[in-house]
Amino acid sequence: LPLTLIPFALTGGELVIRKDLFPGLDFILVVDPLSVFMAIVSSAIGCLIVVYSLGYIHHEENQNEYYLMVLLFIGSMMGLVFSANLIFLYLFWEIIAICCWRLIGFYRLRDFVRKADKAFLVTFFGAVVMLLGFIQIYGQTHSFDLTQMRGTLIPGSAVFLILFGMFSKSATAPLHTWLPDAGVAPTTVTALLHAAVLVKIGVYAYARLFLSTFQIPPVWQQVIPILVVVSSLIAAGAAAVENDFKRLLAYSTVSQIGYIFLGFAVANEAGISGSLLFILMHGLAKAGLFLCAGIVIHATHTKDIREMGGLIKTMPLTAVAFLLCAFSVIGIPPFGGFFSKFLVIMGTVKAGQVGLAAIALFTAVLTMFYLLKAFSLVFLGEAKHPAPEKTPSMVAVVTVLAVASILAGIFVAYPMKLVNIATSQISWWYR
Amino acid sequence: MSPNLLLAPILLPAALAALFFLVPKGVRYVREVLSVAGSLALLYLAFDLFKAKALGFKAGWLGMGIDFDLRLYHFAGFILIGLAGFLVLISLYSTVKMKDSPRVREYYAYVFLSAALANGAVLSNNFVPLVFFWEGLLLTLYGLITLGGKEANRTAVKALIISGFCDFAMILGIGLLWSITGTLTLSEISVKPEGLAAASFVLMMIGAVGKAGAMPFHTWIPDAAIDAPVTFMAFMPAAFEKLLGIYLLARITLDLFHLEARTTMSIVLMTIGAATIVLAVLMALIQKDFKKLLSFHAVSQVGYMILGIGTGIPAGIAGGIFHMINHAMYKCGLFLSAGSVEHRAGTTELKKLGGLAREMPLTAAGFAVCALAISGVWPLNGFVSKEMVFHGALESGYKIFAVAAWVGAIFTFASFLKAGHSVFFGARSQEVPKVKESPAPLVIPILVLALLCITFGVYNKLPLTQFIQPILQGQAEAGTHLDFTAHALSLLNPVAGISILCLILALGLHLFGWKRGGKKAYLASEPVHHLPVLHSLYDLSEARVFDLYEQGVKFLKGLSLALFKLVDRPIDAFFEKVVTGAGLRLTGLFQKAHNGQYANYLAWCLAGLLAIVAVVSLAVK
Repeated sequence: LPLTLIPFALTGGELVIRKDLFPGLDFILVVDPLSVFMAIVSSAIGCLIVVYSLGYIHHEENQNEYYLMVLLFIGSMMGLVFSANLIFLYLFWEIIAICCWRLIGFYRLRDFVRKADKAFLVTFFGAVVMLLGFIQIYGQTHSFDLTQMRGTLIPGSAVFLILFGMFSKSATAPLHTWLPDAGVAPTTVTALLHAAVLVKIGVYAYARLFLSTFQIPPVWQQVIPILVVVSSLIAAGAAAVENDFKRLLAYSTVSQIGYIFLGFAVANEAGISGSLLFILMHGLAKAGLFLCAGIVIHATHTKDIREMGGLIKTMPLTAVAFLLCAFSVIGIPPFGGFFSKFLVIMGTVKAGQVGLAAIALFTAVLTMFYLLKAFSLVFLGEAKHPAPEKTPSMVAVVTVLAVASILAGIFVAYPMKLVNIATSQISWWYR
Repeated sequence: MSPNLLLAPILLPAALAALFFLVPKGVRYVREVLSVAGSLALLYLAFDLFKAKALGFKAGWLGMGIDFDLRLYHFAGFILIGLAGFLVLISLYSTVKMKDSPRVREYYAYVFLSAALANGAVLSNNFVPLVFFWEGLLLTLYGLITLGGKEANRTAVKALIISGFCDFAMILGIGLLWSITGTLTLSEISVKPEGLAAASFVLMMIGAVGKAGAMPFHTWIPDAAIDAPVTFMAFMPAAFEKLLGIYLLARITLDLFHLEARTTMSIVLMTIGAATIVLAVLMALIQKDFKKLLSFHAVSQVGYMILGIGTGIPAGIAGGIFHMINHAMYKCGLFLSAGSVEHRAGTTELKKLGGLAREMPLTAAGFAVCALAISGVWPLNGFVSKEMVFHGALESGYKIFAVAAWVGAIFTFASFLKAGHSVFFGARSQEVPKVKESPAPLVIPILVLALLCITFGVYNKLPLTQFIQPILQGQAEAGTHLDFTAHALSLLNPVAGISILCLILALGLHLFGWKRGGKKAYLASEPVHHLPVLHSLYDLSEARVFDLYEQGVKFLKGLSLALFKLVDRPIDAFFEKVVTGAGLRLTGLFQKAHNGQYANYLAWCLAGLLAIVAVVSLAVK
């Protein structure tokens, strides 16, 4: 559906749909390039993951609940992306948290449910703190309507409270540890959480609130980049140590989210457009990586990368798809990840934060190190659990994602058009 | 000529690469014929473009000053010819050498993709496409090394991480340059390397010399010599990466930044160059494997180019660039002759080989010419370019660098005497069965390269005036004497005298070692190996203590472990233990409060009432 909105967004239009519920609490939808971009990315990747689920989940119990939750998940993501009222933003935010709680604990094992509780409690706690921030803003402006609040300078405490919510949702250190633990969920869910929906919410909210709507105090503009780069580095380090396939990838997500925040936080053209592009590219590549991991785990019945090996013989397509997606995450051209990472770095340097850019690039080297380590351990070397690729629909999806990563890189000019328009609209204060 | 033609050197090989990847493995000859024909077409195109002098192509790309901007000018055209020429020879060579490789489809695809990317990198006039093509080469680098077999993956990862590190450094440098100058178009940038710009210069330099394989970013090359196919060695580290790395280095020092002689940056570059020459050649000297020996020379020779360009003196710069093209020729020829030996004898270990000259006369002749050229023997091309570098180094006023270059020359010749002596000349070894000369497609490229070495040496006026002099025009101050051919390149001047003395010394060294080693040529370097200080250094480097990658990986592992153990886990423990613990404690407290006694609840109610009253009364006041 959001595809129909592309031409509209390309012209840079902004449409506001307003439905009065009761005073001060209108149901407002905003269709602008930023929201359309987000909606396209998450719904497209969500769609691919649902196709993959057909193969992955079809012999599990509770399938009805699974599909209900996944669709509700994607649906509320759409709601969140388009809504322009802080209260509705919060509502959709919580619906997502509930879906996510059910899905992480899908296998219903005692320990798994505990992990799901952890994820829910951390994100819920973050969200409540964020709500406090919203209320503080309301106290200042007497409105929850984002369209009316452009350019308001909000106090630092509100920034802190809201940021707390975003970081908890987008799994940024020190609120990130629930994300690796969430790896107990079915792999499709993990992919959905990481690539398409969940962690992108915090990032999106950042762009929507702190860039496009409010002005934040200059202190925070200095502090946030440092926070996110440190988070990115910590997560990369943790990923290099992990031996659990999915936890490794989860830490990698935390690390990449740091990049996206960094691009937004430096708040210049290159950084913002790099981050937007990053959302797309990371979505494609990370979904691909997780789904490849899903195929491997499904077939070998182990999650420890040290116990795998030599799988390139039996599952060549998965191996190649994994490698391609890994290259995209690392940021090697002609894959899409290159452009996004490049622009974020450029933006950071341009903002005068050379040291941070250097740390970010060092993180990229670490990324290269641990992803290639995972690749050689899982797919090369001696075969320990030879297992063929079975379900064609699953393999087809990862192939599509890998190919999409390449194509998105080669024909980067097309998504870039939308990104540039969104960027120029977000950074209205920049002009 | 239409500007769109500029896309052809990129799109043609890319299309061929896609085709090679799709053609099934069983189909014979199509691949071979197409690759040779395609690369010949590319060569023709390159000459055509070279004649066109200047062309520009521009299309919008990402916005924000990031355009797909290609620009052809003299230097780029020259490099294009070089790249295409090597592609022709390599594809001809591969028709035989790679025929039975199980992944022949991928091999051809990667080779031609590399050509496309390299052409793109040379033509780009905007940093973003430049980095796009430049880093894209990482991919083919990785792919080509993995073709070597099972053990090759380790080396491939190593190469990828080292080159990736260099490229990321370059990106940072480009970012800095962007924020300084505000533009990403190469032809518009021209700053002095001072302050921040100096940092940017150093970072971009790391990118360039890292690609060229200078110390300390070279350590994957000797590993790859063992693991990767020999055609890869002749193709990437010997030819393509040198051309690209030195091209970029020359661009950086000449166009983007004005490197002046006798400045700090110039000394930095010269130091890197000199250190690379001496250290790598010392490593090369003691190698016992033909390919590995060559690979260390591929590193050592980069030092001459960097030294030459780093002098900032026209003669030195021209010498460095000329050395680049010369080196690509003879090193490619040397690797190909090693491949030819491997093809027939099945091994490249010096110990097992010997006396092959009679059975493989053409390969031996090609090898001999190339080896003499790399050692800088008059009148071959290596002599000319090395002399120019010596002159440049002397003119810069820092004689120590010239001395280092001469020391390098001694050991270069000594190690090639050793290699040639053990492989082609000397006594016929018994370990290798009788062999024949390699088939024509293997021999022709070697001979062509050897012939070029002679031509460029004897008629050095031709390339120097045609190709290299125009590059420097506009760089040197007006009125500077740019006629290098008159630069006393005859045999009769003191500089050349010292060089010749070096060669004689090397011969003496070799003969001495040969006698001491019981007339076994492969032991000729042992006296040097066992020199007091050098010996312990050699042992350390055998243990890979100097390998920046090994140390870097250790560092990365340690850092990751520290981050994980000291930062990540405590945070997790905070949530798992402290938060849940505090929650339990709190609920426990409440639980205790509910003891079911009526009086107790009443007391709580009273206390609450009192508190409310107190608050209200305070508020009223």
